[in-house]
Amino acid sequence: MTNGVGVKPQVNIAVVVDVIGALSDRSLLGGNCCLIDDGPFDSTGQGTHELHTAVAPGQVVQWYALAVDLQTPVEIRNITFLGGADAAGGAGPGERVVDGDHLDLNVWSGVVPYSMTRGVPHRYRLELQMYEGENSVLHLETPGLLCV
Amino acid sequence: MPQQLAIIVLVDIGNALESRSLKDNTYLFDNMKLHGSENQGTGDLVTAINGAYWSDGSQASEQVLNWLPYSLGSIPPTVPRSYQAARTQQADRQALADLTALTGRPSSDGEDAEAALSAIRKNVGTRVRAAGRSRALAGQQVLDVTGKVVSDHGQGLHNYPAPVITDVFGEAVDEKIIYPAAYGSPDLVTDGWYWSATVDTSRPGTYTYKMRIQLHELVQRAGDWTWEPVNLVCESRLQVVSQPRRNAFTQAGLSYLPLAPGVSA
Repeated sequence: MTNGVGVKPQVNIAVVVDVIGALSDRSLLGGNCCLIDDGPFDSTGQGTHELHTAVAPGQVVQWYALAVDLQTPVEIRNITFLGGADAAGGAGPGERVVDGDHLDLNVWSGVVPYSMTRGVPHRYRLELQMYEGENSVLHLETPGLLCV
Repeated sequence: MPQQLAIIVLVDIGNALESRSLKDNTYLFDNMKLHGSENQGTGDLVTAINGAYWSDGSQASEQVLNWLPYSLGSIPPTVPRSYQAARTQQADRQALADLTALTGRPSSDGEDAEAALSAIRKNVGTRVRAAGRSRALAGQQVLDVTGKVVSDHGQGLHNYPAPVITDVFGEAVDEKIIYPAAYGSPDLVTDGWYWSATVDTSRPGTYTYKMRIQLHELVQRAGDWTWEPVNLVCESRLQVVSQPRRNAFTQAGLSYLPLAPGVSA
C-alpha cells in the first residue's frame, strides 16, 4: 500500500490475555492483559494495557487476541473508537456487536485515514470475549492510536 | 493464533480392564463446546473444528488438536509423575528407620519384633517387576489414590498408571484430514510426550478417528507383581466446517478505520 511516507505498510497489535487471571479477577487490569505493537514509530506503553500505537495515514492496523495459555479461549468481540465527547466511556459511532458464535472469523483490521487528527491519542474501547456466560466479556478503554 | 483444541480422554481403567473394552468406559471432553462440539462427557463426543478461509479460498487459520489421556479415580494428572518415585523413596526411608528402631530394642520382645517386622513389610509394599515396554513403571511400589503404599493387591485398591495413547489412526488420518504425531515436551505432567495433530479444514465433513490406548493391569506372574500392558481402541469423531473470514469493521473488505469524530488537538 502506498502511504506517501514509505513506512512499514502494516502495524500489528497483539492483545495478550491471561484468560484465567482475567476471569478470576473479572478484570483485564492488574497484568491480565497487555498490548504490544510492531510499529515503526515510537509507540508508548508497550507491554501494558495503555499502549498508544504510533501510526501514519495509509498504514493498515491489525489487532490479534492471543491467549497466554493457548488452550483458553479469547476473541476480540468489538473495537470502538471513542470520540472527544464520549471519551468517558460512551459507545462511539460504529458500535456494532457482531455474531458471538463466529468471533473467530473476524479480521480486525483497517486503514489509518488521512483525515486522522495528528498528535492526539484516539482511544478505543477493546472488548474481549472469554468463553461464555455473565462475566465473559471484559473491556479496556485505555489503549489508543496516535497519528504521527 | 487460534485457540488450541484439547480433547480429554478420561478412562475408567478398572472397568475397561475388566470388560477388555473402552466402550462405555471412556468419557471424552473438549474445549470447543462454544464452537459446536456435541455430546461432551460421553463416549460419543463430536469435536467441532471451525476452519476459516480467505476470499481467495486459501486456509486462513490453523487448527491444532491435542489429546490428553486421564484416568478416572487415580492420582490426578496434575501431580508430576516423579511423585510415584518420591513416594517409593519415602516408604523405603521409613522402613529403614523402623528397622533401625527395631534392632535397637531388647531381644526379649520376640513376639513384638515379629509383629513389627510384619508391619514394616506391609508399609514397604511390593515392588513391581519390569514387563516388556512397561519398564518405566518397574521398580516402584504400588500406591493407592492417596499416595499410600498398597501391600494387598488383591483388593483392587491400587492406583492405575495413567493411560497412554500409542496411536491415532482411522478415517480422518487416512483421508488426510488430520496429521497426528507424538511430540516431546518438557512438561513433567504429560511424562514428556503428547499426541497432537494439525487439521486440514478445507474439506468439511464428519470424520471418525481411533485412538489406541495402552492401559496397565497389575497381575501376578511367577510370584512377582507386574504391570502388564493392555492395548484397547476407542473411537471419536471430528466435525470440520469452514467459513470465510471477514473484516470485522466492515463485514466485507478492508477499509478505513471507523475513528470517532470530535477528537481534536
